[in-house]
This record gives sequence, structure tokens and C-alpha cells, in this order.
Amino acid sequence: MLSATLPLHKSDPLSEDPMKHHVLLGTLLTAALGLQAQGTVKIAITGPFTGGSAPMGASMRDGAKLAIAEINAAGGIQVGGKKMKIEAIERDDEAKNERGALIAQELASMGDLSGVIGTVNTGVCMSGDRYFQEKGLTKIITPAAGSASMTQWSKAGVKDLSIFRFAADDAIQSAMVVEEAMRRGYTKVGLLYDSTNYGVSGRDDLMNQIRMQGGKLQVVASEKFNIGDKDMTAQLLRCKIGGAQAVLIWGIGPELAAVANGMAKIGMKAPLIGGWTLSMSNFIDNAGKNGNGTLMPETFIEDPITPKAKAFIEAYHHTFNVGRIPSPVSAAQGYDAIYIFAAAVKQAKSTDTHKIKAALEDLKEPVKGVIATWHRPFSKWNPADERTHEAFHRQQVVMGMVMDGRVVFANPAEKAQLIKAAGK
Amino acid sequence: MNALIIGQLAVSGALMGLVYALIAYGFQLTYATSKSINFGQGELVMVSAFFSLTLLDHGVPYALMVPGGLAFGALLGLLVERTGVRLALEEKSEGWVLLTIILGLFFFSAAENIWGRDDRPFPTPLSENPVHVFGIDVTRMEISVAVGVFAIMGLIELFKRRTLLGKAFEAVSADRDAAELMGISATRTVMLSYGLSGAVAALAGILVSPITTVGPTMASAMILKAFSVAVVAGLDSGFGVVLIGMFLGALEGLASFYIGSGWREAPGLVLLILALAVRPTGVFGKAGIRKV
Repeated sequence: MLSATLPLHKSDPLSEDPMKHHVLLGTLLTAALGLQAQGTVKIAITGPFTGGSAPMGASMRDGAKLAIAEINAAGGIQVGGKKMKIEAIERDDEAKNERGALIAQELASMGDLSGVIGTVNTGVCMSGDRYFQEKGLTKIITPAAGSASMTQWSKAGVKDLSIFRFAADDAIQSAMVVEEAMRRGYTKVGLLYDSTNYGVSGRDDLMNQIRMQGGKLQVVASEKFNIGDKDMTAQLLRCKIGGAQAVLIWGIGPELAAVANGMAKIGMKAPLIGGWTLSMSNFIDNAGKNGNGTLMPETFIEDPITPKAKAFIEAYHHTFNVGRIPSPVSAAQGYDAIYIFAAAVKQAKSTDTHKIKAALEDLKEPVKGVIATWHRPFSKWNPADERTHEAFHRQQVVMGMVMDGRVVFANPAEKAQLIKAAGK
Repeated sequence: MNALIIGQLAVSGALMGLVYALIAYGFQLTYATSKSINFGQGELVMVSAFFSLTLLDHGVPYALMVPGGLAFGALLGLLVERTGVRLALEEKSEGWVLLTIILGLFFFSAAENIWGRDDRPFPTPLSENPVHVFGIDVTRMEISVAVGVFAIMGLIELFKRRTLLGKAFEAVSADRDAAELMGISATRTVMLSYGLSGAVAALAGILVSPITTVGPTMASAMILKAFSVAVVAGLDSGFGVVLIGMFLGALEGLASFYIGSGWREAPGLVLLILALAVRPTGVFGKAGIRKV
């Protein structure tokens, strides 16, 4: 940020280092070249920190900052022969595509960034990520889940990609939603989705999954709603009359809450099952008790079941002075993404974004995160298979359920499995 | 079963339509006295709702919050009249159109900066359990909307007909110049109408917030529909806006069920075009002769 223009007047965090001379010389040299002026690893964190998607954006940022603070408190990342601290650069894209594009251009032209972490909205990925890719700037997308933000690169047949994703993408999520409906023995479902890219592609994913999982679910109604709609009576009546035993849904917090409240009004008891946006605080708060029993795939649940999770949750509550993480999934993903990025910097022995990218594609050491222990989360990009740059697989995702203002484990078996895995 | 569905859709829609009617009624009040309307009326709804929520957050009891919110809305209405409308009217210009839009944008930015951009739940003392009336489900919040709308409109209409000040209001509405000659201050009457209009906007905000949540954009969809209602009904008839508001709301519900949820807004827009083509003064409007 501003300090980048006045590098030499700031106290050098590495002055205790025995290799002081080299560092100083290096600092002077790079300052003269306008590169890595302060001997820090610069990581940009972007996302919507205000607006309807803010619970996800702000939690992701805060989770990431928690990880950065921990790493810096331990002296920083071991880069070659020296320890370097992480410097975070924050940008609020307000969930707006055009703002996201502007920020991406700004960050891509900085020249001394090691990488970018963030983005909540698939539309923002679609409008901004090409600027990172053009410069080969390494970016880890988290927590945007829309399939398109990765498939755009495989469709374009890009040979070398600097964009990675650290989120359970919609393909995994929709598979789990359909699986859950079938596991509960439902045969008839209603489908509701918002009219944005996210909602419409979510509907396509769900229809796809229903077909792929044997076509055992009959879709009795497929209805959409607009952002800002509050009266969902017509859409819900269609589901009710069709005899829907569950409503599969793809949308964002406030409208999801309107659906839950509308169901209570017309006395529909069927559960809502949908994307992880159903765990957003603006859904849970606005739906109140009408949200109870809602099911969604989650990568992290705010339940201190393992020592690592307990430490993370307590640190988050304490540092940001809250009793509940606004979006636990985003916070945990932001946290783990920083640790994975730091591991790549260490392995690359460099703050050069191209070398970090190469290291990310072949991480040798496992990274202990709060969601899981990550063994080689990414591999060499293959345009025929975007999974090479996706970290999450089905086994890292569990089913969550809203209960009295919180998200809890929906299936005790999954909880037990996580505890067991952490004990190993 | 079919009749029940139609009934459910029509009733749910009509109750939301009453909110459009209440906002449209706010347009009517100022149009009657000054032939001007506040294009930032939606922002008054939103800012008043935020203000009322802040009162509740500070421990003000619900029964005191309502008059507090209404008074705040009235003050905002007066502010709009003083800064956006009065000078333009004195100049006999149409400057109030732009000025009220600008004031609306100003209120919007102010709300974003003071209260943030998030949608927030608005507490209500009513139970969330729905009531069943002849097989139709209605929430208590929706009933409170209907009660509130009819109560405030009834009170204002009574005031216009029964009190001296109200008669002055009617006199200025009928003929501004003649009323001035009779010793009625047209400026004060216009102020009164803007104050009332602001209070009506605040009430709309308080009534609808428990259903829609409170956020800077909460009124942007409603305001467009309120305009439609005002235009279709005509800017003269309070009874007309209620009827058209309920009709439009019911039509929306039925359209999104029978035609498809993507077509929700279409019938309302067709209605608007038809009304403008066939009866530009509105279904319940008076076709007056304009002497030049």
C-alpha cells in the first residue's frame, strides 16, 4: 500500500538476522529496482468486505489474517536462507464485477506481489482473473464456488495456468445435495434458484447430478426468483402442490431467508437443501427459527471437535471479538489457503510468483490446516481436467445443518470420521 | 384445491400490493397540493426504517418507536420540501424532478455510510406463526401491513374532511390561487403535505421491514411498483391506489404461478402501458380541462 513507496524509512523487521548485511544490500538493490522493497512476502487479499456477500468476504479475510499473524509471530516464512514476514494488501471488490476487474488490473500491475488470495463471487472471478493470468500472477480463489471460474480456463485450452482454487466447487456441492436428498429417501423435489449466473448454473449442476445419480429424483417444479424478491409464495406453492418432499435451492443469503420464511407461511415442512450459501449469517439471522433443519455442504463447521479446530475457533472469536464466525467455511478456507501459499513460498525459496506457482503445483510437504492435512492439493495444470488446480474433493466436505442460529454436523458419522482422521 | 391456490396467491400478493399503495399514497398527498412528487420517496421509506431500527437497538420500546419513526419521516419530508421543492415551485420550474432524485441519492449514500450495506432483520412483536383464514395462510406481519395501511389512510382522509387544516389542504388541492386569495397559505399547506407524505413513507418502512429486512436497496423494487400503481390509479384517488395496489400485487402472484416465475413483473408493466395509452389520467383520475 502506501508504505511501498517509502520502503527505506520503515524499520527493517529483519535487523536481528545474522545475515543483516546481505539482506540490507538486497533490500537496497531491490528497492532500487522497485521490487520486494521491504523484504516481505506481499499477498493481496480481495473479496467483498461490504454488502450482501460480506459475511463470506470478511470471514475469509479475517481467517487469512489470522494465519498471517501466526506465521509472522513465528518469525515469518523461511525463504531460502532468511525468514520473511507476510504483508497483506486488502482490496474490497464489493461483489461488483467491474470493481473486481479494476482491482485485478491494479494488483497485476504492482510488480512485486507474490500472489493473490480471495474472491467470493464467481462473476468477479470471470471479470478479473484474466489480468492475473496474463501476468502469470499466482492466485488462489477462495471461497468462490461457481464452476465457471475454473472451467473458463479449460474451455479456453490454456496451457499454463496461474489460477488455483481452494473451495468445494459447485460440482461437488450439487452432487452432495442430490445424494443427501436420496439418502433421506425423498423421491420428489422442488428446484428453486436465483436468476444470477450462480443460481442458473447451480440449477444446471443439480439437474445434471440428478441424471448422473440414476434419475431417481422427480423434479416437480423448477422455479426462479430475482435478487431482492421477498414474496416467494407462487414458487413455493408450485413445489407444495407438486408434492415436493424437499426443496433444492441455489441462491444467496437474503433471498434464501425469504424462501424459508415463505415456507413457514404456507405451512411447508419440507427441508431446504442447497449450496453452502445456506450457512451465511444473513440467511441464518433473517430466517430465524424457520431456517432450522436446512442442509448444506460445508468444508468447515464451527464445532471444536479437534484441537486444531478448537484453537482456530477460539483465536477467531478472541481476535475479532465475535461469538460466532459470520461464515466459518470462508474463514477456515482463508486460513488454510494462506498456509498452503506459505508452504509454496518456502518450497520455491523465492517470492517470485512464477516460482511459487510451480511449487504450488507440486507441494512436497503436507500442510496442516484447520480443515484437513493437505497432501499435494494441486498438480500440474491440465487443460483437459480442471481438477488439477482444485484442492477440494468429496472427502473434505461434510453436510451441515442449521440449528438454532448455528450450523452443526448433519450426520454424526461424518463428525466421528473427522475426529478419527485428526487423531491419526 | 384450485380455488384455494388462486385465493392464496391473490391474498399474499394483494397484501404486498398494499405496501405499493401506501407508497403511492405518499405521491398523491404532495401531488394534490403542489403538483409535484418526491422521486426519492423510496429512500425516505428506507432511511426511516433504518432510523426506527436504530431506535429499537437503543432499547426504545416498540410502542414509542412507531411515533418516533413517523416523526422522523415527517421531518425528512419537510427537509425535501424545503431543499428540493419549494424554490423550484416558486420559480414555476420543473426543477423539483431532478432535485428530489438528487436528494434520494444523497439519502441512499448517507444510509450506506451510517448503517452499512447489509440487509438486517427488523424485529417485530408479532408471532411468526401464520394464521389460517378459510384455508388461506396469512402471516401476522402481513395482517399488520393491512391494518396499518387502512388506519393511516383513514386517519389522513378524515383529517382532510373533518378539520379546518384539512379543509385548507383540500382547498389548495382544488385551486391554489383561489385558496391563497381566501387567506390560506399555500406554502404551509405544501409543507404539511410533504410532512404527511414523509410520515406515510416511514410507516410503510416500519410495516414492511419485518417482511423484507432493512437494507439500503430495500425500497428500490417497491418504488417502481408504487409508481406504476400511482400512474394506473391516477394521482387523485386514495381509494384508487388501494384498489390498484391490491390488484397489481395479486396479479404478480398469479402471473408468477401460472405463467412462470420469470414473468412476475410482466402483467404489471402491460397494465401500465395500457393505462397510459387508454387513460393517461389514471383509471380513477379526473380528466380535467387544462386552460392555457
